[in-house]
Amino acid sequence: MKRLDGKSALVTGGRRGIGRAIVERLEAEGARVMTCGRGARPDDLGEKILWETCDVSARGAVGALAERVVEAFGELDILVNNAGLQIEKTVVETSDADWDALMGANAKGVFLLCRDCIPIMSAGGSIINIGSISATAADPGMALYNASKAFVQGLTRSIAVDHGPAIRCNAIAPGWIMTGMADAAFAVARDPAAARRDALRRHPAGRFGAPGDIAALAAWLASDEAAFATGQCYTLDGGMTAASPLNPGLF
Amino acid sequence: MSGMLAGKTAFVTGGSGGIGSAICTRFAREGARVVAADLSPAAETAQGVDFVDYDVTDEQACRQTFDTLGERWNSLDILVNAAGIEIEKTIEQTSLEEWNRIFAINVTGTFLTCKFALPLLRRSAGASVVNFGSYDGFIADPGLAAYCATKGAVHALTRAMACDHGPEGIRVNAVCPGYVNTPMLQSFFGDSGDIESLKQAVRDVHPVRSYGEPEDIANLVNWLASDEARYASGQLWIIDGGLSAQVQQMRL
Repeated sequence: MKRLDGKSALVTGGRRGIGRAIVERLEAEGARVMTCGRGARPDDLGEKILWETCDVSARGAVGALAERVVEAFGELDILVNNAGLQIEKTVVETSDADWDALMGANAKGVFLLCRDCIPIMSAGGSIINIGSISATAADPGMALYNASKAFVQGLTRSIAVDHGPAIRCNAIAPGWIMTGMADAAFAVARDPAAARRDALRRHPAGRFGAPGDIAALAAWLASDEAAFATGQCYTLDGGMTAASPLNPGLF
Repeated sequence: MSGMLAGKTAFVTGGSGGIGSAICTRFAREGARVVAADLSPAAETAQGVDFVDYDVTDEQACRQTFDTLGERWNSLDILVNAAGIEIEKTIEQTSLEEWNRIFAINVTGTFLTCKFALPLLRRSAGASVVNFGSYDGFIADPGLAAYCATKGAVHALTRAMACDHGPEGIRVNAVCPGYVNTPMLQSFFGDSGDIESLKQAVRDVHPVRSYGEPEDIANLVNWLASDEARYASGQLWIIDGGLSAQVQQMRL
């Protein structure tokens, strides 16, 4: 008997990175999984995993996605709001189009998915939102990204309070996870290699995170093991934010 | 047995208490060899759990216990500091003796156990320390002043240890339970009224409409102890049925 046997799951943004790791982990734990992304079905996606092309920031598309969930699974047990994007700009540099794209995916997308999926979720359902350590301490030059993740973590608490006890809702705040997004963040440093070395030394765990680290916590939160966990934003960052950023050893 | 902790060694202080014994039982079920350390044995001990007489406030006894443990085990993979007490008083009602006692158990006990366990933890291929904080380390319950202060100290110690010992392959986290059905919670309800109606009122204020059971906390401790949580360190893991996600609820 696997932990998620008989459960159904929808994971947004399952093309690559953290989303893909969560998709594969939930399936390995026994869940039936649907995932989505803006483009066509990725060639390397497991054959049992359902794929829908969907822009999470588009109201009609999310409604249609929820209908597909009902057709495929009946009820939904697990919703993982992972789809998101990152724009490396300060407020002054950010255009209206940047706002629409970033807040559309990271904030409105989470809202739309929750609004359309809560009514089709089973009692005992679990929503897992992907927040960020940037929600509570700013990463330089990522103004809207940071703010969008604070929105996600605030919404997480509201859903837990308004929709418990039927539905639990938690967020995971990843630290530096080695994905394309992290590479993009290092790329804007004056010396990307030095920035990477410095960042590594700020991790008590001695390494950056892997998408599988986040998937391991998502699987636990999705399972009935986490029945008493709701309304929380759990940080998974290899200890980075437990330490002060002012580290004399790195001067 | 799902075997998440197969082959691991675990030492649990307060191992006879409400939450501590649930943790020991769970660890044994997951395949760990477990030592439950406490002042007296639990009424029922699960198979695979050995009891050791242990007083977290006694430096000499703590040192000796880990010396002896080192002869039996090559390394320690999991340390859980679950020993703790609660004093239901404001600071004005709290005597210095009571203040020193709760700090001796909740804070100094965690310090001493960690200090003497470190040599064995370093020999593990990947050690996990789980301290007991509390949601009371973030938000106060009335009439629990010294208790709240001890849990704040455990939270800060947890981060400091994660920072110092992470590079040695030791992860350090704290679990911060809310209301859990233990003798401690029963004592907190005390004589404030009819216990059944209090229980219902406590349930109603939780988004999950229930207080926790020791097994709910053991579920999280088990995850943090396992290699599943290999990237989790330096964090304070609140598990409270959503209680602290909401603001105070006015009765209007």
